[in-house]
Amino acid sequence: MPWNVQGGGGPWGPSGGGNGPWGGGGGQKGPDIEDLLRRGQDRMRGLLPGGLGAKGIMLIAVALFVLWGASGFYTVEPEEEGVELMFGKYYQTTKPGLNYHFPYPFQTLLVVPVLTVRREEIGFLTAPEGARGGGVRNVPSESLMLTGDENIIETNFVVQWAVKDAAAYIFNVRNPRQTVRDAAESAMREVVGKTTLAAALAEGREQVASQTEDLLQRILDEYETGIVVTELLLQRSDPPEAVIDDYRDVQRAKADQERLINEAQAYHNRILPEASGQAAQVRQEALAYKGQVVARAEGAAKRFLLVYDQYRLAKEVTKKRIYLETMERVFRDMNKVIIDSGEGGAGAVVPYLPLPEIQKRAAGARGDG
Amino acid sequence: MNRRMTVILGVIAVVGLFVGLGAMFTVDQREQVIVLQFGEPIRLEQEPGLYFKLPLVQDVFRFDKRLLDYDNPAEEIIASDQKRLVVDAFARYHIVDPLRFFQTVNNEIGLRSRLGSVINSNLRRVLGTVPLRALVSDKRADLMLQIRDSVRLEAAAFGIQVEDVRIKRADLPQENSEAVYRRMQTERQQEAAELRAKGAEEAQKIRARADKEKVVIIADAERDGQILRGEGEGEMNRIFADAFGRDPEFFDFYRSMQAYEEALKGDVTTMVLSPNSEFFRFFGDLSGTISRQ
Repeated sequence: MPWNVQGGGGPWGPSGGGNGPWGGGGGQKGPDIEDLLRRGQDRMRGLLPGGLGAKGIMLIAVALFVLWGASGFYTVEPEEEGVELMFGKYYQTTKPGLNYHFPYPFQTLLVVPVLTVRREEIGFLTAPEGARGGGVRNVPSESLMLTGDENIIETNFVVQWAVKDAAAYIFNVRNPRQTVRDAAESAMREVVGKTTLAAALAEGREQVASQTEDLLQRILDEYETGIVVTELLLQRSDPPEAVIDDYRDVQRAKADQERLINEAQAYHNRILPEASGQAAQVRQEALAYKGQVVARAEGAAKRFLLVYDQYRLAKEVTKKRIYLETMERVFRDMNKVIIDSGEGGAGAVVPYLPLPEIQKRAAGARGDG
Repeated sequence: MNRRMTVILGVIAVVGLFVGLGAMFTVDQREQVIVLQFGEPIRLEQEPGLYFKLPLVQDVFRFDKRLLDYDNPAEEIIASDQKRLVVDAFARYHIVDPLRFFQTVNNEIGLRSRLGSVINSNLRRVLGTVPLRALVSDKRADLMLQIRDSVRLEAAAFGIQVEDVRIKRADLPQENSEAVYRRMQTERQQEAAELRAKGAEEAQKIRARADKEKVVIIADAERDGQILRGEGEGEMNRIFADAFGRDPEFFDFYRSMQAYEEALKGDVTTMVLSPNSEFFRFFGDLSGTISRQ
């Protein structure tokens, strides 16, 4: 678009007023054309009706010149830098404080707030403070992007930037803010495109942020924008809304997995001590049996030996006595049928024994017992 | 006289000022200018500074000298694997030949459609040769360079130097996105199911191991128990053998006596006895001699 109108011509007119990303940031200071014309008219009016003499005219002219000259003073705020143009050509950059430039039409002044950190939100919009239903609104067209493994991720980030070279910033790029936004989006997608979804969601987040920052700075340097990216903050790096439930379910599944294992571990921890207890019992029972058997054996052996010692002293007598005493005890409570085997003896009688009768008696005796 | 001179001088000064102003123009650091005489371009000024021209006869046309932005509308591209992709690219360029720029596209609005079609045709051509995966990930930077180079070549005709063409967004069309979401969902569902199954498996293993250990612990104890019992019994045998071995004959007798007593204790069995037995030796005969037939 050709600009043949000087001063505020076109949206990006070179003369500065309302130019650049922040209205008035690069404002032109000093008198404009209309002022000058008005002054000229004043001078004519003074000349024509002849109210004043030549001296008066000179006086007014000098006063106007001084005023014009004085309009060249300007202050640069601490966070700013001034850029002076001489007939449109870059002349010098001035530091904060009181400065002087030749007023129009010789020099033009542009002021750039270099130290102010600007912030671009990409993938979301923060509602202005106090706005109704404020908070953060997602911008899906910016936030959704493809990952290297052809999944889709939702990413929000903030780019903070400042001006490192005021002259380059003003002279080299027409639309610095849009350039930062476009480059940042492009860089983020390029980096995420090389990252897998799983990495971008978890351990690779830092890397994505730092790689994007590097790439963005490289692009901006390539464009000679005079911009420095001070920080790139990855706000969100999440699965998209549509699949978030399934991601959460994976988290739940992980919890379930741990719970199942913990329950099993608890079972393990419960039954093994029980088993140890049972084992101890089995061992103790066996020990008890061993002790018992040995003790009994020792007792029996000792008893036998004691008896034997006595027996040795009087073998026949003792043996007979033992026999009789034993038989006495054995036969005492027993039903006894004594059959003489003399004449005909047992061989003849036994077959006729009333066995059922004996059994009945035996049963009766048992019942009594 | 003096007054008239002053008036004339004043008028001359004013007219001279206007003519002088009309004969001067500045070229800003950020712009470049072509001078037209009756609409015909006769001069090009690209360096900033103060310049002169013929007033009224010559006009100046100003062009931006800064890096200019062009945002290409989203364009649907088909990759070589027939996957569709919506590509949103932007370009950055300088006007390097304002005259040609002025003649071919007149102004930036005129450039927009021409540059757009150049970029789109190159996007299609270059991206159509690679699969979607390459475009999204590993070859993106290379492809952007290729596109930039060929766009730069073609766009030189408009008097511009294309400094960069970058793919801002490369997204799947809506319906393909849905498919990706479904795939992501099923993948996650799979993962969740696998996690749960693995949990169950691990739990089962732990339980089985616990059960096994329990059986082993108890079996070990039982083995030890049997050994202990055996030791006890062995010891018992040794003790008995030791004691009873001193007189086996007496042991035979003694142990039999004990056995009779134990075995028949409290029994009410009817026993048929012969008076001829040893026990009844004195039953019918004082001498105690058993009558033997």
